[in-house]
Amino acid sequence: MGIGFDASFVFIQLLNGLTNAMFIFLIASGLSIIFGVLRILNFAHGSLYMLGAYMTHQCVSFFINSPGRFWLAVLIAPLTVALLGGVIERTLLRRLYRHEELIQLLFTYALVLILSDFARFLWGVDQLSVSRPPILKGAVEIFGQYFPKYNIFIILLGPCIAFFFWLLMLRTRWGRMIRAAALDRETLGALGVNVDRLFTVVFIIGSWLAALGGALVAPVTTIRPGMDVEIIINAFIVVVIGGMGSFWGTFWGAMIVGPVYAMGILVFPRLSIIFIYVIMILILITRPWGLLGRPLER
Amino acid sequence: MMKKLLIFLILVVGIFTFTQPGLTAEKSITVGFPMYLSGGGAVFGKPSAEGAKMLVKEVNDAGGVLGRKIELLVRDCKGSPEEATRVATEMISKDNIDFLVGGLTSSQGLALSEVSKQEEILYIAPISKVATMTEPPRFHKYVFRAACNSKTEGRSAAVLTAKKPWKRIATIGPDYSYGHSVTGAFVPMLKKLKPEVEIVHQAWPKLGESDYMPFINVVMASKPEAVFSTLWGGHFITFAKQASPLGFFEKYGFVSAGEAGCLEAIKGAGEDMPAAIISNAYDTFYYPDTAWHRDWVARSKAFTGETYPSSWLGTGYDAMKFLVEAIKKAGTTDTDDVIKALEGLTIDSSVGKLTMRAKDHQAARGQYWGTLTKVPEYPFLILKPVEYISAEELME
Repeated sequence: MGIGFDASFVFIQLLNGLTNAMFIFLIASGLSIIFGVLRILNFAHGSLYMLGAYMTHQCVSFFINSPGRFWLAVLIAPLTVALLGGVIERTLLRRLYRHEELIQLLFTYALVLILSDFARFLWGVDQLSVSRPPILKGAVEIFGQYFPKYNIFIILLGPCIAFFFWLLMLRTRWGRMIRAAALDRETLGALGVNVDRLFTVVFIIGSWLAALGGALVAPVTTIRPGMDVEIIINAFIVVVIGGMGSFWGTFWGAMIVGPVYAMGILVFPRLSIIFIYVIMILILITRPWGLLGRPLER
Repeated sequence: MMKKLLIFLILVVGIFTFTQPGLTAEKSITVGFPMYLSGGGAVFGKPSAEGAKMLVKEVNDAGGVLGRKIELLVRDCKGSPEEATRVATEMISKDNIDFLVGGLTSSQGLALSEVSKQEEILYIAPISKVATMTEPPRFHKYVFRAACNSKTEGRSAAVLTAKKPWKRIATIGPDYSYGHSVTGAFVPMLKKLKPEVEIVHQAWPKLGESDYMPFINVVMASKPEAVFSTLWGGHFITFAKQASPLGFFEKYGFVSAGEAGCLEAIKGAGEDMPAAIISNAYDTFYYPDTAWHRDWVARSKAFTGETYPSSWLGTGYDAMKFLVEAIKKAGTTDTDDVIKALEGLTIDSSVGKLTMRAKDHQAARGQYWGTLTKVPEYPFLILKPVEYISAEELME
């Protein structure tokens, strides 16, 4: 369409892609951890993300007179959703591990419907909005272009969270157990580890990550019914590209999908979305277990 | 034994039949109203359904029409055309509805129009705007539209845009029928009114896109003087929240179709709503200051119990009013007679006198357009100055 691309616009586009990548990473990583350990494809993961966003709005409204209300909300909202995740795992999901995958899938899909009605009941159908925290309002100048401060914060925060989790997985007992469970949960159980409790913890962590994504995305989007289903497709694509159950795979999957999509918009505006699907199809053909995943036995 | 049971059954059935209100008197006229009541569009679907209920209450309180009560069946059809078709077909076969009114998105309007053609039932679209619904080859005698259509919406935006000094225009709109048909009406009309205008870029994010930043960057790279948008509802709010830190709305003129100026969008965006953009709304409770509009606002306040009545209440109200007035005029509920009565019918609607054109079953409906402005009277932005841009000279 006859736009001369300055290098600065291309760079900004890359940053846009990276911001998006960090959001998808947060959501997809929870999905991936849960799949890795529980072997459940959790369709309702997007619902936890949506609840995280709604809870953030709730907290921000509750602490309306406090200057740090957004940060308080980011702290509290994901924790409440994580708690809900724990309850769901304990009371409902637990009964499904012995059943075949189709039943599990149907169940998590039912959860999507129930949680979306739950959100509608509590918060109605209005579009809700959360403002950026004062310190991150506005934009900074980068090579003569403007880029929102909040997005820079997200780009920096994403790798920090990834690194922190990687350390947790590597250095702590729980981390080692989670990695072991992803490899072989039967043996882990035989070794005397309480696998039931481990599953609950993993589901809580996954829910927390989803809700954290929802909390952080709240200032740049509209909180509304339907955002649960919109995000889940992207998260699935990233998990498929990165490798089901692989933590770093999810990170790099998001790092590919985000910028590729953004650059696609710059180069072929009408076809941008196709690139991502092409990548996914190529991965599925050549490496069905994803970039950093392992081929499933059985 | 068998005989006793039979008598008992007849008694039970009899009691239920004769104690049911409405069945003893003349049977009520049933109207099916499938509407987007859960999911992203529900924020508009709900007030539209409320508007329909308001009209039904007014009519029934005044004794009904042709001595019969109106019975309104409001059902949730979510956001998809498939669901709209399913709900409508079910209401036709199970509830024996006499007329069909409803649907929100453009694709739902097209789907319900198809149902009405197959089932030979009269259908009035209160909200769906896509112009092709009332144009050949899709047009048929059972479909009517009380809403303004995408062509008049795009063209009225072009009329406003042409008055401004802008020459380089970019467009951004959701990549589906509504976005394309409004933008497709806007661009040629603008070029006709002002041939020196150049369309520098057209961005088409998918419907429901959550990340507009890459699109915003490309629009900015095309160096426009103004941007025309067809992002509606929550999509617009998301876009606005992402664009405003970049000074987007200060740098470029902005004309937004898709009712970014409606109360729901303005309230939803809160302090993130950009001021000084030009946009439209179905209704504005603060304008016009005339006797009939004051009366409409007072009645809608009383019915909904809300201080600031929704901009979408009138959509359901007007569609139902067209139906009721047509039945009254026809003196019967026979579909063909009501269709004839509807053609060319003028009603007192939420926007004043409104006529249903006979030739394409499209109401000659315009919209309120204005500039979003902060005023001391309200805790949110309003359209000011605002005017009703009539559709009549913009329609073929």
